[in-house]
Amino acid sequence: MTRQEVFEHVKGILVETLSVDEEKVTMEARFQEDLETDSLDLVELVMTMEEKFGIKISDEEAAEIKTVANAVDFVMAQANA
Amino acid sequence: MTRSGHRPYTSPHEVTAAWSALTDDRVVRVVVDAAGGDHAPDEVVKGVCEAVCPQLRVVLVGDEERIRPLLPGDAPYLSVVHAPEAIGYHEEPATAARTKTSSSIVVGLKLVHAGEADAFVSAGNTGAVVAASVLYVRRIRGVQRPAICTIMPCMPAPVAFLDVGANAEVRPEYLRQFAIMGQAFAREVMGIETPSVGLLSIGEEPTKGTPEVIEAHRMIAADEHIGFYGNIEGRDIMNRLVDVVVTDGFTGNVALKTIEGSAKAILGALRATIDVSPATKLGGLLLRRELLVLKDALDPEEFGGALLVGMNAPVVIAHGNSRARGIAQAVRMARRGSVSDLLPTIARELGTHGGTV
Repeated sequence: MTRQEVFEHVKGILVETLSVDEEKVTMEARFQEDLETDSLDLVELVMTMEEKFGIKISDEEAAEIKTVANAVDFVMAQANA
Repeated sequence: MTRSGHRPYTSPHEVTAAWSALTDDRVVRVVVDAAGGDHAPDEVVKGVCEAVCPQLRVVLVGDEERIRPLLPGDAPYLSVVHAPEAIGYHEEPATAARTKTSSSIVVGLKLVHAGEADAFVSAGNTGAVVAASVLYVRRIRGVQRPAICTIMPCMPAPVAFLDVGANAEVRPEYLRQFAIMGQAFAREVMGIETPSVGLLSIGEEPTKGTPEVIEAHRMIAADEHIGFYGNIEGRDIMNRLVDVVVTDGFTGNVALKTIEGSAKAILGALRATIDVSPATKLGGLLLRRELLVLKDALDPEEFGGALLVGMNAPVVIAHGNSRARGIAQAVRMARRGSVSDLLPTIARELGTHGGTV
């Protein structure tokens, strides 16, 4: 998967599962400040990403995911590992 | 718009009698958290035994070694699924829900998600039940946030009240969705045909309240699917001005606890007044029957718990201090939630004319 494809998937999760406004979802967007997601939203995002991409994200790793780009890069790194 | 203040008295029993009445043959499978609540597992098992019947199967989830000895010898409608962990009251909800995968709450909700059960009941950590429900049972498509909808024992009839604790902060759209879900709850679970909905604020005028409440008022008023009364004030909740009261989870929880505390204080003062002299004691004795009816009408155990509306299955959050009676009623509420049109109604109304999704 390319970086853009992963981004589209993450965007899809944010819009469909977490009801985030589509136009707000950019690579630079910060989850808490820009997308107004709460702690439960982030856990939901992490678990949905695990399911969708077949990866494992530890709590420590999840705590480091603060922007959409962080999430996309994490998936890319796991996929190439 | 309906003004429901002058209705004849509807006792809580009249509402819950419909939950016990088995007019529907469908078998409902309810998962009950045997590790949740101050009196678990003993009172939970007792309550479950009180509720089970051929139309109701119960799966107890918890420490099997502790549950088995409590079961009656012949219990064909009961089964046990082992879950060695429990989520405590002080654990951070979202983290516990994600990491404690062999806890009774997570194991139980996963059974519902897998289609092996239809509904879930727990008297455990409310936040963890909400978080785990969102993660494992999932929201109905279109629902932005689930809300905890409770039934307040008011005179002359009980009232539906949401959100009492799932969302401390809300957006106006959430409140509009709560109005729709609360209305569906009042109709399907409480049997009120055309419920009136009030938005809790600090004045009747649409311009009163926080910016969120003012915007929510506008959105709810514009929604033709909602029987909107308008804004109501705190004092109108117990005066039973409307059938459904909508607010955010922070305000709702504060209001709920304030009302519960006030009711307790007033009943205590009443008791003290009766105890003043032989003459007042005689007066109390004469009023005894009526006072018992009042006490009964205001008993929170009658409704068992609150329903987390907006999820793909009924999730009932019972009071932490539930005894057997409360658990039995919570199980019956879950069954009612499952056989009624509650979930399809929410899915239909939030899927078609709302939701930004």
